[in-house]
Amino acid sequence: MQPLRFLKTAILLLFVLVFVVWTLFPIAWMVLSSFKPNNALFAFPPKFIFTPTGDHYAGLFTGSSNFAGYIQNSVIAAVSSTVISIILGTAAGYGLARSHFRGKADLSFWIISTRMAPIAAVILPLYLFYSKLHLLNTLLGLVIAYLTFSLPFAIWLMNAFFVDLPIALEEAAKVDGASKWQSFVHIVLPLSAPGVVTTAILCFIFAWNDYAFATTFGGPGSQTIPIAAAQLMTQSGIDWGKLMAIGTVTVLPMIFFGMAVRRWLVRGLTLGAVK
Amino acid sequence: MKTEPHRPAALPYASDPERPVPDVRRKGDAPLRRYRFEFMMMLPALLLLAAISLFPFVYLIWMSLNTVSLAGGLGFTFVGLDNWLQLFSDPQVGQSWKISLIYFACTVGTELVLGIVVALALHALHFGRHLVLSLVLMPIFIAPSIAGLLGYFLVDPVYGFYGWVLRTLGIFSGNLLGTASSAMPTLILIDVWQWTPLIILIVSAGLASLPEDVMEAAKIDGATYFQRLFRIVLPLLAPIILIALLIRSMDAIRFFDAIALTTNGGPADTTKVVAIRLYETAFRFFHLGYAAAIGLTMLIFTIVIAKVFLRALSGRELTN
Amino acid sequence: MNKHPNRRDFLRLTGASLAGAALYGTFGARRAWADQLGDDKVWKQCSGVTLNFISENTPPSSAIAANLQPFQDLTGIKLNLTQLQLGDVTQKVALDIGSQQGFWHVIYADPYQILAPYYQGLMDLNEFVHDNTLPQVPKGVDDFIPTQLDADGRFLDKKALYTLPYDCPTLIWIYRKDLFEKYQAKMQQALGFDPTPSGERTWEQYYQIADWFNKNAKSDVPFGTGHQARQYDSLMADYTSVLLAYGGDYFNNGQELGLYGTKTPGKCLVTSPEAIEATKFYKKLIAIAHPGSTSWDWDGVAKAFEAGQIAMMPEWHEYAAEFEHSNLKGKVGYSILPRGPKRSANLYGGTGNGINKFAKEKERRAAWLFLVWSTSPAAQLEDLKSKVGGGTPTRQSVYDLPEARAAMEQDSDMPNLLAAKYALEAWKPENIGLRPKISTWNECDTVIFTEVSKMLTAGQSPENTCTAMQRQIDKINKAG
Repeated sequence: MQPLRFLKTAILLLFVLVFVVWTLFPIAWMVLSSFKPNNALFAFPPKFIFTPTGDHYAGLFTGSSNFAGYIQNSVIAAVSSTVISIILGTAAGYGLARSHFRGKADLSFWIISTRMAPIAAVILPLYLFYSKLHLLNTLLGLVIAYLTFSLPFAIWLMNAFFVDLPIALEEAAKVDGASKWQSFVHIVLPLSAPGVVTTAILCFIFAWNDYAFATTFGGPGSQTIPIAAAQLMTQSGIDWGKLMAIGTVTVLPMIFFGMAVRRWLVRGLTLGAVK
Repeated sequence: MKTEPHRPAALPYASDPERPVPDVRRKGDAPLRRYRFEFMMMLPALLLLAAISLFPFVYLIWMSLNTVSLAGGLGFTFVGLDNWLQLFSDPQVGQSWKISLIYFACTVGTELVLGIVVALALHALHFGRHLVLSLVLMPIFIAPSIAGLLGYFLVDPVYGFYGWVLRTLGIFSGNLLGTASSAMPTLILIDVWQWTPLIILIVSAGLASLPEDVMEAAKIDGATYFQRLFRIVLPLLAPIILIALLIRSMDAIRFFDAIALTTNGGPADTTKVVAIRLYETAFRFFHLGYAAAIGLTMLIFTIVIAKVFLRALSGRELTN
Repeated sequence: MNKHPNRRDFLRLTGASLAGAALYGTFGARRAWADQLGDDKVWKQCSGVTLNFISENTPPSSAIAANLQPFQDLTGIKLNLTQLQLGDVTQKVALDIGSQQGFWHVIYADPYQILAPYYQGLMDLNEFVHDNTLPQVPKGVDDFIPTQLDADGRFLDKKALYTLPYDCPTLIWIYRKDLFEKYQAKMQQALGFDPTPSGERTWEQYYQIADWFNKNAKSDVPFGTGHQARQYDSLMADYTSVLLAYGGDYFNNGQELGLYGTKTPGKCLVTSPEAIEATKFYKKLIAIAHPGSTSWDWDGVAKAFEAGQIAMMPEWHEYAAEFEHSNLKGKVGYSILPRGPKRSANLYGGTGNGINKFAKEKERRAAWLFLVWSTSPAAQLEDLKSKVGGGTPTRQSVYDLPEARAAMEQDSDMPNLLAAKYALEAWKPENIGLRPKISTWNECDTVIFTEVSKMLTAGQSPENTCTAMQRQIDKINKAG
């Protein structure tokens, strides 16, 4: 019995190990490659040992590439759309959680269906609107585009958090003479902080990672980091070194943010359907 | 975690008889007056959402009934159902749907099976579970466009690491993304790499919240691991798995960044999913009306899938 | 030291050319006008304007992006340069012109994807050429290589000029000189002809050379040939060079269509016996090429070449700079592409810059200043030396400079000229390969590279490929 059990554990461990390697290797390779000098980057067979260089990172911030500008655009677009979504989404999520009316289910479904709409289908009408409203090539255009998915996401998710919040405290506040608004601000909001933070981070990550909207609506004043990455695929070559550096710079903060809310991540990523 | 949260409790559309609702509705008290504060709270968000999603939706329908031209200013020529008739007789769009469905079934299917297996394996581990879970989550946070480019870099036959491994092992010496038979499987693997962790995360949460007493009772009854797995664990996890399925399905149709940046539909159109075809029709050929019709079919497909899943979910909830 | 021409360089070269041009009467008068105004005033007349330039990420634009200062110093114009992939450029330009907004003032107008469908949104540059108050094109527009000027700048009307030639990548035969020298005798003996690349070789011989490398030189290079045969524009370019060499073409009167375009291309001819012959050959050729070929665009095949994976390839001549800066320095040879039964056809991929008709008056004038400056001999000479750029000139006079002549023969700080020597050959009317300039090219192009890709990777027969192309192209052009 004992050896069999040992064998089982060994197989189990091996399986998990293989999966971890499969999952982490590409990320490790990306980070590693971002420090490789070009001759090591394209070496055959691939090299693990090399003299690291910061050239690719330095190249991002000097010369023709305006990477700092891209970061700024990405941050502005992602933060603005997140802040707007959180403010409106928290209010609406609360309103939805505490009210009952006929058609509520349909309303809820409509909200979430906008979050699920295929990006390619959303882009089309927005593109024509934008051309009429002169919103192409502007950051405002991008912020609005991001709202099309982050706002319904925020409403739905915050609603899920509020539904789970015991109503007793609000009722007690009511007895004490507080208005609905007062009890929302002073009692409900502080309790829902984890929900707000999780929702905000997820909204931010989705906007930060967007490529489709940015490539369609973006212009010289509104190009974001994923566009910068795609632009390294030029007519005269893909600058893989810089691309890996951009990847690393883009991904690491998101991984950090993601880990910070890991406890609530399941709720966020399942739109609040799972605790 | 508490004892019963595997139940999808927080789906607001599914009215929950157990949950206390503040001051149960009284006759003659219209919700509009009763919930004025709540409605005011909802109003700004709903107005904005309507402006940026409902309005474009109606516009999309209108576009699909017109020939939209760009030259000499935006022009609409009403053509009735022409675009729709063309759509249903267009073998290329049909082919793209086939490819999309294959992509959709393979990615979601693989991710689901692999995700559940890994989650069960992690659950059986007695140490390091949280560490491993944290590590394998990382791909979720990577931009799909970057994940696609990273995959492209890794499988290159000249300087890609995976390309080198495959060649050295004598398995394959061409480019995985440049060969008709392997391009789609490679894209599927890139998606599987990125999104299996999500399934692991969700299923792990479900496993952690399984009622201990039931499990113990089953063990005492002498049920084997697989008996317990198929008779107790998986049925209990069903609602959560459905949710995972729903989320992944939506996103599998939703995103096309990785494909756009790697194969963009090639080789030989073997990876031209509907979203790529739509993008090409709209922004390369500028048949905007026709593209709108394609977009609407995608939207309808998404909504139907969502409805089906959500219904299955509510059904589950009632029988539990 | 600036990488890009500073004002003094520019005026020196421009001044010299203007002095030469003074032989022509009109130029003399214009020169006087310019003197009166003072060079500074002429160039500073749009000071304060912000100019949006949208370009494919092409070498001359990268060189300009690396150093915007000289143009800003010369003109006081602020230049916003946006570099994208061609598909994205097309999309943004199409909408901008369609909505008549004039957001993009200077447009990198690909002759096929932008000029042909949207020429009505571009200025006829003759208006600026004949404007005495504006700086003139140094040496006049006739200094541009004639086939380039027509292919890049004209559509339908042989007088109207929509763009000034800006870049000029052209498919030529690039090979490993070291390997060809090493195996020359052996190959000659085995194959019965001198394998040294030149316009005298045939495509059939190209195939035999590739095959010989595959079988006899594995220790030096795994594959004889590599191609940019990914389902993309690159595949169309690679395939079209063979198609034209065999005497096939997409439409009747192809060369004329390539130079001046048409609105009514008529019936597609890609099922002609010559075209089918070419298509059969192309399939046969790619079958023995490096298996990575079907996933490579021009860059992928270049990287494979640099990595020593292939001995030769059809490739854009501007890649010479990259190769001469790599560990292959001095080991690379260049030639025009092999002949088919008809001729050697070297597909031309150049593009000119045009001015958006819907831009404001001041912006259009500013755009003209940029056009003149960016295609000036001084700018093109600097581009040749640029580390980030490395495009080649579109003007005859730059190639005629002694400095340039010397660089075509030996290693210098302008490595692209090693290849340009052959590109000059390729641009001759009898050697240049041109796509049809038609407004539906985007769709036809997609059909071509999709169907050829199906042939290469999914087993479609050459005959069926040609028939499928013809059927779809005729449908697109409504020429049943």
